Amino acid sequence: MSKPVTVCALTISMTAFFTGLSLAADDAATRKDLTAVIALHGLPCGEVVSVKTQGDNDHMVTCKDKNRYHIFINSAGRVVVEKQ
Amino acid sequence: MTAPVFVDAKFIGARRRRCGDAGRVGVILFILMLASCGGVKSAPPGEPLPAGSNQAASAAIAPVAPTVTPPTPPPSPPPASAPTVAAQAPIAAVEPAERLNAPSTPAPASQPAAKSGAPAAKANPKPPAPPAAAAQIPTKDVVAQNAATPKAAPLDLTSLETRLKETQAIGFMTKIALKNQVDDLLNQFRAFYAGKLKTTLAELRRPYDLLVLKVLSLLQDSDPSLAAAIVASREAIWGILSDRMKFAKFASA
Repeated sequence: MSKPVTVCALTISMTAFFTGLSLAADDAATRKDLTAVIALHGLPCGEVVSVKTQGDNDHMVTCKDKNRYHIFINSAGRVVVEKQ
Repeated sequence: MTAPVFVDAKFIGARRRRCGDAGRVGVILFILMLASCGGVKSAPPGEPLPAGSNQAASAAIAPVAPTVTPPTPPPSPPPASAPTVAAQAPIAAVEPAERLNAPSTPAPASQPAAKSGAPAAKANPKPPAPPAAAAQIPTKDVVAQNAATPKAAPLDLTSLETRLKETQAIGFMTKIALKNQVDDLLNQFRAFYAGKLKTTLAELRRPYDLLVLKVLSLLQDSDPSLAAAIVASREAIWGILSDRMKFAKFASA
């Protein structure tokens, strides 16, 4: 394999690796954020284990204790947590 | 085990050099990517000291005082006219500023007092007294300083607000939810001062404390300096909320 090809392959593989890491970190940050939102509203959750994003600031989350919540920002600018 | 004789030594050397070059390039790329991924948090200027250390806070009273002096002037003019009538708590709060503003030599202060007569003698005995008390009973002075330190804590609401908005320790949705709760609490205070809400300040203190605790619990692990700043400003913020005039001024601003 020639030198330019090696360098190119290395760059692509490392970019893919770090992009994957970054996306995972974003996901973890979102889960942490939504966990805090649920806790701020005084609702039981423990920890958010999965997030399904439905739109801008509109998430459907599942908690460790199997509770499911719809978290979104309403037209008045308030964060709403609805138990599903 | 020996290397096969048909492999050219020059070829092996060139191959090793290429591998070395590729490895070096990989290392450099790795470092560059790490550098681009990492974020450097710069501490904002004028960061207050952690609230846990009273000694550090009292030691740093001199640099803190200039930021505090603008709010204090309203109470400071009265001491010249009627210092003996003032309550004990305001005196404790004003004392550090008086000490800073007073000349370092107590002797000249006592001479004019002797010359000016009884009214001046009534007004002047206080400034020389603190140094004497500090020399004789240091514990009293320490207690007085500790009592005065929370009141003298710097309160820069704009800076706190900016830092709260910019901190990475709290996520976007959490920040919005917190803002909602802060607005709700402020509305409660508005209703209370307007006479629409039948409650007491003591009862309003509870949701305030709860909200502060929520913010602190979110910040304490990821942004301890901001958490410390909020702890330091906690009583000062309550001082604004619990005073009708200050709250009105704050709400209109």
